[in-house]
Amino acid sequence: MKILVIEDNVELLRDIQIFLEEEGNICEIAPYFKSAYDKIGFFPYDILIVDITLSDGNGLDIIKEVKKENIDAGIIITSAKDGLEDKIYGLEIGADDYLTKPFYLTELNARIKALYRRKAYQGNREIFFNEIKIKPDSHEVFVQDQLLDLTKKEFDIIHFFMVNKHRLLTKEAIVEHLWGDHIEMVDSYKFIYTHLTNLRKKIAKVGGNNYLQSIYSVGYKFTDRE
Amino acid sequence: MKLIKKTNKYYLIFLVILFPIMVVVDYYVIQLAVNYEVEDILLHEQERIQYNLAQNRTLPHSNYLMETEPLNVNDHLNEVFRDTLIYEDYAKKNVPYRLYSFTVSKGQQPLKITLKHVLLEINELIRWLFIATSLIMLLLGIGLYFMNRRIYQWAWNPFFENLSKLKDYGVTQEKPIHLKSSKIREFEELNEVVTTLMDQVRKDFQNLKEFNENISHEIQTPLTIIRNKVVLLLESKNLDEKELGLMQTIHQETNKLSKIGKALTLISRIENQEFKRLDNVDVRTMIKNILSNMEEIILFKKLRIDTEMDTALIECDYLLADILFTNLVKNAVQHNTKGGFVNIQLDEEKLVISNNGEVPEVDMEKLFHRFQKGNPAKDSLGLGLAISQKICEIYGFRLVYENNDQVHLFSVFFEG
Repeated sequence: MKILVIEDNVELLRDIQIFLEEEGNICEIAPYFKSAYDKIGFFPYDILIVDITLSDGNGLDIIKEVKKENIDAGIIITSAKDGLEDKIYGLEIGADDYLTKPFYLTELNARIKALYRRKAYQGNREIFFNEIKIKPDSHEVFVQDQLLDLTKKEFDIIHFFMVNKHRLLTKEAIVEHLWGDHIEMVDSYKFIYTHLTNLRKKIAKVGGNNYLQSIYSVGYKFTDRE
Repeated sequence: MKLIKKTNKYYLIFLVILFPIMVVVDYYVIQLAVNYEVEDILLHEQERIQYNLAQNRTLPHSNYLMETEPLNVNDHLNEVFRDTLIYEDYAKKNVPYRLYSFTVSKGQQPLKITLKHVLLEINELIRWLFIATSLIMLLLGIGLYFMNRRIYQWAWNPFFENLSKLKDYGVTQEKPIHLKSSKIREFEELNEVVTTLMDQVRKDFQNLKEFNENISHEIQTPLTIIRNKVVLLLESKNLDEKELGLMQTIHQETNKLSKIGKALTLISRIENQEFKRLDNVDVRTMIKNILSNMEEIILFKKLRIDTEMDTALIECDYLLADILFTNLVKNAVQHNTKGGFVNIQLDEEKLVISNNGEVPEVDMEKLFHRFQKGNPAKDSLGLGLAISQKICEIYGFRLVYENNDQVHLFSVFFEG
């Protein structure tokens, strides 16, 4: 898919670009309000990643412009402010999602894919990884066409891994993905460990491979690479 | 005491003091004036008598004549005024008279002539003075009262209007304050001083607020970068044990920094009363949602949750209510022992959350202070209770902590 990232911090902008391109997207960047404004007028994008505070303007104005011109692009706001009002206002004027800084690139990736799936396929798109198939809409996971019996959080975990294949997901990133960053507890890390163990067992039981690699002690990767 | 009452009181005191002074002064002044007038009449009569004697050599008839007395040639008499009381039959009492004696010559015979003129009676004088003065005082009093009220209404009106404006004004407001101007210079000066002061305070506040917001904003973007770079480094796989340890620490501390920034911003936003919405929050539903959000963790820790909740509606910002109750429930879950219990009781007046767990090693007094941790758990910042306390403060709730025998009890009383 084609993504435009609007962000005034060039370093972050480059990180996002590299990450998204590695995920197989075409990713363009706009560090200024003006360049972003010009680009959305000329080129079609599937997804816009919009930082609200730009050095020469307000990202919200870009969203308004997109809506006014009836440009069909999914919009994700990235903002350092996590006030509810900002969030509500952003969604009210037409953004599809709101991500508070600091965010993990894997989280951004998950949001982008979810949004793209909703927009382009009305959600009816299955995600495949070798013998594993996920139907995000019905929250179902199949291993070699056998339905797994998973709890809601177990589904969320495997879904998160599936959209971030071959990526290191830190424990913090997983916790944030599952609960948001307000409910953070020591127990949640233990919880994740237990549930990943369960998940491994459940996949192995129906003959699936173990793709979950523990990376040092900081997180996990879902990959079939060495 | 209200200003108008105070001034009226002083006016009254003034009139009470003034009253006897006026009576006394009037008494002497009037007496002096009457005496002077009477003396004038008597001196006139003297002149008339002397003139008549010189012209006609007869003593003319005089209404003021009291007595004539022949004198010896050598006798000398000073012309003198004096007062006396003469018993009058018709009035049946002593009547005050002013007497004036002088000498004239009738032929060769010197005569002492005494003239008299009735004076005002002292009692009468005092009585009338009293009445007249009272009347003046009364009029003065009424006049002052109404005048005072009028001045109070007219001159002080802008002052009171501005006062109520100032009462409603908060530094959190972005617009500068506009005070009603007055024609009175002192008030105008006061307005200027107050306006300047408020402007300064407002600007300082806005600066501080902006600074806080900027800090929060500006640190989050670099933190995003640091965190993601750390993840990239960790992904590169070639780290040895020591480097890994360093990276992990950087990762953790970056997370902590971000959370501290957010929590402190939240506290300052609460303190600045930036949460002004008054939602009708259904506490029971909210707590149920919070519990269902933590369901897995609760199951994981094998906690027993007992709830006994009536419907309770409170008026406050929805987001803050969510933060408050999430903090308290989270606290009860987090600082619990495996297989422990959490008991939640809710009615219209209070919410009581009790749980078992280790007794915290922190001073009870300091429990609600910032950065106080019950146990040095890895990712607890010690800001949760400080935030909860702040939220309770602004809505007048009372947050109370008790513990006995490894049971912790947090209560929120909704009506103070």
